Amino acid sequence: MTTKGEFLASIRAQMRTARDLFPASAAKRPEHPAAEADTIRRELAERWPASLEKFRVEFERVGGVFYRVTSLDEVPAVVGRLAREREARGLVAWHAAALGADLAPALEAQGLDVHEMPAGETAAAAERERVRAIAAGADLGLTGVDLAVAETGTLILVSGAGRPRSTSLLPPCHIAVFDRTALVESLGQVGVFLEAWHRDGAPPTTGAVINFITGPSRTADIELTLTRGVHGPKEVHAIFVEQGIRD
Amino acid sequence: MSDGELAIPFRQRAGSAMKDAFLQEALTIATTKFIDLRREAFEDFPEGEALRDRARAIKEATLQRLDHYLETLIANIERLGGHVHYAKTSEEARAIIVDIARRTGARMAVKSKSMATEEIHLNEALEHAGITPVETDLGEYIIQLAHERPSHIIAPAIHKTKGQVADLFGREFKRRVEADPEVLTKIARDELREKFLQADLGITGANFAVADTGTVVLVTNEGNGRMVTSLPRVHVAVMGVEKVVPSLTDLMVFLAILAKSATGQKLSVYTTLVRGPRRAAELEGPDEFHLVLLDNGRIAQLGGPLREALSCLRCGACLNVCPVYRQIGGHAYGYTYPGPIGILLTAMLEGSRAVKDLAHASSLCGACADACPVRIDIPRMLIELRREVDEKKIAPWVERVAFTLLARLLTRPALYRLAASAGRVLQRPFAREGTISRLPFFLNDWTRTRDLPAVAARTFQERWAAEQGRTR
Repeated sequence: MTTKGEFLASIRAQMRTARDLFPASAAKRPEHPAAEADTIRRELAERWPASLEKFRVEFERVGGVFYRVTSLDEVPAVVGRLAREREARGLVAWHAAALGADLAPALEAQGLDVHEMPAGETAAAAERERVRAIAAGADLGLTGVDLAVAETGTLILVSGAGRPRSTSLLPPCHIAVFDRTALVESLGQVGVFLEAWHRDGAPPTTGAVINFITGPSRTADIELTLTRGVHGPKEVHAIFVEQGIRD
Repeated sequence: MSDGELAIPFRQRAGSAMKDAFLQEALTIATTKFIDLRREAFEDFPEGEALRDRARAIKEATLQRLDHYLETLIANIERLGGHVHYAKTSEEARAIIVDIARRTGARMAVKSKSMATEEIHLNEALEHAGITPVETDLGEYIIQLAHERPSHIIAPAIHKTKGQVADLFGREFKRRVEADPEVLTKIARDELREKFLQADLGITGANFAVADTGTVVLVTNEGNGRMVTSLPRVHVAVMGVEKVVPSLTDLMVFLAILAKSATGQKLSVYTTLVRGPRRAAELEGPDEFHLVLLDNGRIAQLGGPLREALSCLRCGACLNVCPVYRQIGGHAYGYTYPGPIGILLTAMLEGSRAVKDLAHASSLCGACADACPVRIDIPRMLIELRREVDEKKIAPWVERVAFTLLARLLTRPALYRLAASAGRVLQRPFAREGTISRLPFFLNDWTRTRDLPAVAARTFQERWAAEQGRTR
């Protein structure tokens, strides 16, 4: 087998033979991404309504369903109505700490079987099996959102303790709750936040995966006919909470 | 494509594709649709042109310090608890993956769509080792059931009708299946959901890897990339060395243009950034993460004539606009990567002998270079390849002799004039209205698809000389 040393040596040998190279540089990384991310948030505090409207347009264009509610108290009713329309009962939800609020009692009052994901201190095999089986059997998955991108209608979710990857993947219907602290305008701004999370190593980056979700799962592999929900959710709903989730 | 099919000459493979009425219709519909979607996406995106230039500059900057970025990537992945493997050839890559599968006791492997694993013919090797590979991208799943290879980089089964897919599924699951994409997709979802939950091993390619963070990036529309990296206990990613990018900031530049070029989406549905195995506090994700870095002819091009092709993002845009691809489809090319970029990649992986015919399967119209999100000058390299095919004396002898004689003729004015006079006489039986459409014997091959202008009754040189005489 080829070793790392041999492999890199062959690369260096070939690099030396390259001719006619033109000067080129990688993209300039933000020097202080955390500070820049703060600036972006501060600026958006003024003009978020325009960004939210852009997000709605783009999110609906990719097949998402958008809701706007005044306070968190209205969220369970929206979820309850979605469940009744689909004759669904089983809901898997991120842990209250990851969601930013404990919605379980109010959701149960809507007639839902609520499975709140554990905060994640123990990752024993049996516990992991249990969590997977719950997610695989649920009709609805309720998550928070780390970034909502207006340019593309994208929801960005970071995995980690209390926020499993499967909640937004295995159930056929994904419901995401967010407020204006998650809103950003562009993919360029997403880059600043990703750099900031990475540089600081701070939450929400406790998990190994960051997912960009732009609408429901889709395929056009058979005669280019657009079909939804091939592996991931068939439906994605985003509920915007005006007053803020953690306020 | 099997070796048996490769034994059929390219011209014959292309000929059968052009007689396949369904394929012709499917190709026209699919490529036209992709072209329209791509154009609309970039029309809505004024910064797109500048981003294409930036993306190209990032690729170039990365290649110029490839050793550095790979070392950084490797160090970061190992720091996260992942393992990195080094494969000079397809054989090595297959052996590494089969070894991981055996060591971890894997019986079934779920795969998300990956051209790199197609390139190394991984499925056959897994089957041989008693491990069942399951393709989970719907298009790849269909062609796996049909025992075929992808015919388009991003739409692997565009050559299949829904009726053919229904027949395949019917045979596989032993029941009557309705030829409706919605129904067929549902069947695949249910079947593959079981496999995702059972499989021990998840195998993916990688659209990008971020050196700075040790992140492997997967772009899918169906969500199979997420399934494969979340559910099985071992994840193996296979990636060509050229896919590394320096930072997350660079990554965002590529994401902004990749899906627009491929399908006209602003972003594909799922972009998944994976950093090593499951973290201690996480309940999901693999216990083991492996990255297989693949050379397979790429490294030799760092200083070679095909260096530019190392910037390819595998978006498929050049296939859709190529007048040759649009006529013959992906299978006629005969190798893993079809279309204009596919010819270059085939030369890179298999050597220039493999493309002695394919190097000519281009009109050099330049549409591919215009469509390429990172502006790879594909026609320039195709011409380069034609030269190489000629210099290595791989081209048919008739062609070589003919072009050697032509070169002599064109560089010697006296000989040229003589040949023009001779041609005027010799062409009489073949020239019709100033055009030669058919030549005898072996020359017939050449004129079958081309018309040659006949030698004029008076050549330009003769007329020029006459004019000069009159005015003097």
